[in-house]
Amino acid sequence: MSLTAQRTRYVLRRLMQAVPVVLAIVVINFLLLQLAEGDAADVLAGEAGSATPEYMAALRTKFGLDQPIFLQLLAYVRNVALLDLGHSFRHDTAVATLIAGRLGPTLLLMLSAMAIAILVGTLLGVLAATGLNTWRDNLIAVLALLAYATPLFWIGLMMIVVFSIHAGWFPVSGMENVAAFHTGWTRVADIARHLVLPAITLSLFYLALYARLMRASMLEQSGMDYVTTARAKGLTETRITSRHVVRNALLPVVTMAGVQIGNLVGGSVVVESVFGWPGLGLLAFDSLFARDLNLLMGIFLLSACLVVAVNLVIDIVYALLDPRIEVR
Amino acid sequence: MQTKPFMARWLSGCAMAALALGLAASAHAQKRGGTLVMLVQPEPPTLASYASTAAPIGQVTAKIFDGLAEYDFNLKPVPSLAESWTIAPDGKTITFKLRRDVKFHDGKPFTSADVRFSVLEVLAKVHPRGPGTFREVKAIDTPDPHTAIFRLENPAPYLMMALSGYESPMLPQHVYGAGDIKAHPNANRPVGTGPFKFVDWQKGQFVRLDRNPDYWKKDRPYLDRIVARFVSDSATRTASIERGEAQSAGMAAIYYSDVRRLEKLPAIEVTTRGYEMSSPVVELIFNTKVKPFDDVRVRQAVSHAIDRQWIIDNVWFGFGKPATGPINSNYAASGIYTNAVKRYQVPNGVEIANRLLDEAGYKRGANGVRFEIVHDITPYGEEWRRLGEYVQQALDKVGIKATLRYEDVPAWLRRVYTAYDFQLSSNWLQNLADPVIGVHRAFHSKSIRAGTVFVNASRWSDPKADELMDRASLENDPAKRAALYHELQKIVVEAAPNVWTHELLFSTVHARRVKNIATSPLGVFSSYDQVWLDN
Repeated sequence: MSLTAQRTRYVLRRLMQAVPVVLAIVVINFLLLQLAEGDAADVLAGEAGSATPEYMAALRTKFGLDQPIFLQLLAYVRNVALLDLGHSFRHDTAVATLIAGRLGPTLLLMLSAMAIAILVGTLLGVLAATGLNTWRDNLIAVLALLAYATPLFWIGLMMIVVFSIHAGWFPVSGMENVAAFHTGWTRVADIARHLVLPAITLSLFYLALYARLMRASMLEQSGMDYVTTARAKGLTETRITSRHVVRNALLPVVTMAGVQIGNLVGGSVVVESVFGWPGLGLLAFDSLFARDLNLLMGIFLLSACLVVAVNLVIDIVYALLDPRIEVR
Repeated sequence: MQTKPFMARWLSGCAMAALALGLAASAHAQKRGGTLVMLVQPEPPTLASYASTAAPIGQVTAKIFDGLAEYDFNLKPVPSLAESWTIAPDGKTITFKLRRDVKFHDGKPFTSADVRFSVLEVLAKVHPRGPGTFREVKAIDTPDPHTAIFRLENPAPYLMMALSGYESPMLPQHVYGAGDIKAHPNANRPVGTGPFKFVDWQKGQFVRLDRNPDYWKKDRPYLDRIVARFVSDSATRTASIERGEAQSAGMAAIYYSDVRRLEKLPAIEVTTRGYEMSSPVVELIFNTKVKPFDDVRVRQAVSHAIDRQWIIDNVWFGFGKPATGPINSNYAASGIYTNAVKRYQVPNGVEIANRLLDEAGYKRGANGVRFEIVHDITPYGEEWRRLGEYVQQALDKVGIKATLRYEDVPAWLRRVYTAYDFQLSSNWLQNLADPVIGVHRAFHSKSIRAGTVFVNASRWSDPKADELMDRASLENDPAKRAALYHELQKIVVEAAPNVWTHELLFSTVHARRVKNIATSPLGVFSSYDQVWLDN
C-alpha cells in the first residue's frame, strides 16, 4: 500500500472515531450546564432591572425552558446532527453567526501569539542550550521564570501603562480604531498595531514554557549516540545543532504546542478582557454568566472539534518531522 | 392711535433681533462634527429597548429612538415627538398632538398609527415595565395622523413620566409590525426617528451610529457620529479614558476609586448630573418570612447597627447620600419624598440595636453571639462584596454572626427572587420616573411573585400600605398624591422590610472637550442631540 493511501485511510478512520467522542461531549456539556442554578430568563430580567411575571413566563416559553430537560436535550442533539447550532435568545442571533464573527479575531490573536511563542521560545531554548551555564543561559532562565510566573492580566495592564499611556506607541485596547473606521491597507496596518500588545502578552507564558522545554530537549538530544556519530563524521557544531539536534529536540515542543493550540482556540478570557479583543473566550465567559446555554454549547462544540482536528494534524506532523514514526 | 401698534412692532422687532443674535451666538459656540466614543458596560445583548430595559441597551438606543416626551430637571415632561398634550379633568383621556415634520430613518413619516402600535402592540405586551405603565390604557384613537388620544380606564398619573425615548420608544409600525416582535430581525438593527441612525454592530467591539441629517430638530445633532465601545476590563476602560481613546463613560463603567483619580486630571471632567430619573437606593433585603427576620425588632436592630455614612465614604468612595427610606430624595422636587420618618441613623444606634435584640428574645450566648445567619452578597462587583464584608462586621458588633455567601448572578437571582432561600441579601432599587413604576414593586402584596426578579423579595406586606399605593396610582392631584406617599414612607420605614443604606450617585466621566453631556435627568439615557465636541 502506498504511503498516501495509508495516510488517507488513517485520517478517515480517525475522523470516524471522532464522531462518538463529539456526540458524547455534546451530551455531557448539555447535562453539566443544566446543573447551574438560574436560567437565561432570570438574567435577562435581572439586567432589565424590573419585569412582570407575564414577561418572565413569555421569555421562558420563547427560550423553550418550559420543556422537560430530556426533550430539550433531544432537540439540541438533533439540531447539532443537522449542523444547526441553534439560536442565542440573549443576542437574538444564530449561534453560528455569533461564533463566526468572533472566530477571525480569535484565530488572528491566537496564531500570532503561538507563532511568536514557538519561534522565539525555541530560539531562546537553542541559545540557552548551546551556551549552557553561561550568562546567556542564566539570563534566559531568569526571564523565562519571570514570564512564566507573572499573572497575565498584570503583564497586560503593565504593557498598557508603559507602551500605551506613557510611551504612546500602541493603542490601549480594541482591534481597530473605532473613531476613524479605516479601510483597505490602512485598516490592515491599524489592526496590526492593535495586535502587538495582546499577542506579545499572550505569547509570553507559552514562550517561557517552550524555551525551557526546548533547552531540556536539546540537552537530552546532544548526549545521544547519533550526535557523537555526526561529530565523528567531522560535521561542524553549527551543522550538528541545526541539522540534527534541533530537529529531534522539536518533537516535545510540537506535542506541547499541539495540545495548547486546541486550548487556545477557546480564546484567552484574560487577554481578551484586558485588551478589549473581540474573541471567543470572552464570548464564552459572558454567555456562561448569562446562562446563554445554546451559545456556550456551540463554543464548546467548536473547541472540541478543533482539539480533535489539531491532534490529528499533530500526529501527521510527527511523521513529517521524524520519518521513523509511521501512521497506520 | 398708530403709535401703540408701531411701538409694539418696534419692540417686538428688537426682541426678535436680540433673540436672533442670542441664537446665532449660541449656535456659534456649539461646533458641528466629530466622533464621540462612549464606553458602555457591559455590551448590550440586543438593541431591542422595547423588550428590555437593561441599562447598556438604553444607553445606545436612546440615541436612535425618540419618545413622545422628554424631561427637564424638575422631572416635568416637555414636548418631543408630541408637541403638546391635554389631560381631561377626570384624568381618563390624554390627547397628544404630534409633530408633522418627523420622519423615520428609512424616510417614512411618523404618524399616530405608529404611536398606537408602539404602545398597545409592543410596549404594553413585551416591555418589562410596559404592562404596568400602560395597564390603564384601553384604547388609542387616531382621528388623524397627528393626533393620538389615549383612552384610560382609570387615571394614571405615572404614565406621563414614562414617555421618554429610553422608557417608551416610538417604533415604526411598517418595520416592527411585520413578523414576531419577540424575535424580530430588527432587534439588532433598530430604526427610529432619533438624532442618530444605526449603522453597524461588530459584536464584542462597538456599535456605530451616524448623524441623522434629516432629524426633526433643526441643526441637530452636533456630532457626526457616536461609537459605543465595549471593553470588559475595568482597568482598561480607565486607561482608554485616560488616553483619550474614549471620551465618555457613564453609570458604573469606571470604578469608583478610578473616578476619584481621573477627576484630578486636567483633561477630564466628572458629573453626577443626569441620573435623576433613575434614583437608585441601595438596600439590604430581609426575608421577613423566616426567623430571625420575621421579627420587626430584629430588622430595626440591624437597621440601627448599620453606619450609612461609613458605607458611602469607604465602599462607594463618597458617591452616595444617606437614605431615609425607600423613596429617593430626588422626589423632593415633586413633593413625594419626606424624611419625617423613623430615623435609624442615630449616634447610639448600636446601643438601641442591642436593646431591641434583647427584647426580641435573642440574648447573647456565652461566646457573645445571639444567632448566626448567612448573608448573600449581591454579585455585581467589587463594591457589593465590600458592602457584604462591612455588614458582616457591623452585625458582629451587635452579636449577630454572619457568614458570607457569594454566587454568580443567575444563581443569586434564583435564590433571592424565586426560591426565597435566603435570610439577608442586598440590592438596589431604582425608583425610576415614578414610585408607581419603581417603588410599589418592592412592597405591594401583589408584587410577591416568585420567579419575577426585583420585586417584593422580603415578602413583607401590609393592607394599609397596599391601599395607600393603590390610591396613589390613581390620584391625579399632586398634593394629595404626595400626602399618600408621605404616609406610605412612614409605614414602610417603621416596618423595616429593608435597610435603606444610601442613594447611589452614579457619575459620568468624560473628556472636558465633550460639552452638554448631561442636559437631561436621563443623562446617558438621553438622545445626545445637544452634545458637541470642542477642539
